[in-house]
Amino acid sequence: MVKSIIHFPSDEWIKIFKEELNKNTTYQEVAKDWEGDFLFVITPDQELKKETVFYIDLWHGKCRDAYLVEGEKTAKFVFKGPYSNWKKLIQKELDPIRGLIRGLFTVDGDSRVILDQAKAAQELVNTASKIPVVF
Amino acid sequence: MEHLVDCFFWDPAISFDTELSFTSEDIGDGISLRKPVFTVEVLEKIIDRIKTARQEYRRTRDIPAVFDAIDKVNELWRNPNYKGRKIARNVLPIVTGFSIEMIESWGFDYFFDILKKENLPLAGKLQAQNYREFLPCGDGLVKAFGQPHIKYLNYEPEVIGHICAGNILGLAAFEMVMDKLVDAATWVKVPSEEPVFGALYAKSIEEIDPLLAHTIAVLPFNSDNIMVQEFLFSKSNLVRATGGEYARKNLSELAAKHKVPLAGHWHKFSFITIAREYLNKTQAQEIAELTSLDVCAWDQQGCFSPQEIYVEIGGDVSPKDFAGLLAVEIEKTTRALPKGRNSGKMQVLDGYYQYFTKETMGESVKIFPSKTHQWLVIYDESNPNCEPSPLFRVIRVKPVADIMDILQKVRPLGSFLQTVGVAIPQNRLISFANVIGQAGATNIRTISGMTLQKTWEPWDGRFPLQELFEHDSLHWVSIDTKDINTEIKTALQRKRLIVDDRLLPKKS
Repeated sequence: MVKSIIHFPSDEWIKIFKEELNKNTTYQEVAKDWEGDFLFVITPDQELKKETVFYIDLWHGKCRDAYLVEGEKTAKFVFKGPYSNWKKLIQKELDPIRGLIRGLFTVDGDSRVILDQAKAAQELVNTASKIPVVF
Repeated sequence: MEHLVDCFFWDPAISFDTELSFTSEDIGDGISLRKPVFTVEVLEKIIDRIKTARQEYRRTRDIPAVFDAIDKVNELWRNPNYKGRKIARNVLPIVTGFSIEMIESWGFDYFFDILKKENLPLAGKLQAQNYREFLPCGDGLVKAFGQPHIKYLNYEPEVIGHICAGNILGLAAFEMVMDKLVDAATWVKVPSEEPVFGALYAKSIEEIDPLLAHTIAVLPFNSDNIMVQEFLFSKSNLVRATGGEYARKNLSELAAKHKVPLAGHWHKFSFITIAREYLNKTQAQEIAELTSLDVCAWDQQGCFSPQEIYVEIGGDVSPKDFAGLLAVEIEKTTRALPKGRNSGKMQVLDGYYQYFTKETMGESVKIFPSKTHQWLVIYDESNPNCEPSPLFRVIRVKPVADIMDILQKVRPLGSFLQTVGVAIPQNRLISFANVIGQAGATNIRTISGMTLQKTWEPWDGRFPLQELFEHDSLHWVSIDTKDINTEIKTALQRKRLIVDDRLLPKKS
């Protein structure tokens, strides 16, 4: 369990997220068929001035790599939304699929795959919600 | 023996303090329709139950569970031997006046494809700034016109009401599904012209997922029942309604009185445009085949049905000769998809005598009639303006020098414009779509597909899912394909599965 409080969004946060995800046995089980990397794009709003992008490489229930992107990067899926919605997401106030349906997030890539992997998506959120953060 | 068909649905476990009364209407062929007599006490219990069922569902299930349930429901309905479909097959031709062939092939076979899990919209909203030109969406293209000025926003609607017009078969089912994707409880007023399918569909949801079904109430009541409408509006976060001018006026007043956002879909004007490139000697007949399907589908009763056909001059086949080809094809299509009980024979005869007189008087008009007055094609050079059709398979074909000239004809109709059936080559289609979309049209569809809504397409310029939680000033325009030549080939295959040569009389 993470003890110290970490700033979100930051490279430190995504690295801790990777560690915690790899400890999450539920995630390992529900995401065992998942193959594909993500860009998590946090777009600026009133509280965040600069766009922040996380890269995260997910492969059969494991996180192989995760870091704050500096410069250009591509991935199979891009999950994108404003900072305020990301805050709600990692505080479990917003479900990722419900967020997509309401246009609070957008996804580039086959959104059907994400729908089929809803339980894995939920575990990503559960893991993120357990990391103590300061916004 | 009388077959009693219930036109209502709610959680059957609801108990009412006083016994509920019913009316029964004999519609012929041994079938009676049963409808409840609503009181405020009854409605209160029903609305309370759909709200508690919604809360319970949200607490215990997620959106993928909704997708899975709907997919299983549609699997039931795709089976021609499913009991609900059998009831619908017996009852719908009588209550709607559409032929069984129309309901089965153009209705069921296509409609349940729309509601397949993989076709349901996952993204309810697009970002307008990314669609300022026609760009890919689904298997077609969309473009945003106007500004995203938000007029209403509620991401968590608790109760959504739907008032369904009788001319769109299956609308009640579509509305139930859309509501479930935004976690809302649903009441649906089914139309008196077709009060059956909504309840049958809700019961089929109950077979798969009872709790999901119990978030739905299907309520048949007359449009003039003020008590019921006032009560339901007062309990709703949003009402979506389809209907004509009478419904628009009454429901707008009701919505204003109860301060309920109203998503209205009212009277519309749709038409067909055929470019000269498709009027070569080989393709003109195929285009006529496809066009005949748009004229025959739902006996032209839908808002998306064509009222006029504009044919560009300069092709190998003239607009007048195209009208002749179309008449031949409508006759064939009518054999495969006959008109229903409400044949509109008077409309056809009226059109016949009106234009017969004009033709006899030497006006530049030619009529192509059906021997049995089932349909009528009118080639009309006498009036270049756009005119509403009498419908019931009566269609005017008018020549235009250039498809871009159509803009001047239809621009005055503005927001009344809706679907434009097209056979226009890709290199001219986008510029046509730009001007016709700017004028007010919303759905540009390849001919023969005018009545076939795709789930990713906007409806009257708004996305059906987004409209349940957000209203803005944007006007979205869609083109149903990225490649019209491929779409025409596919459409021709689909059409020939329905209008098969085996249905035609044998040559002696």
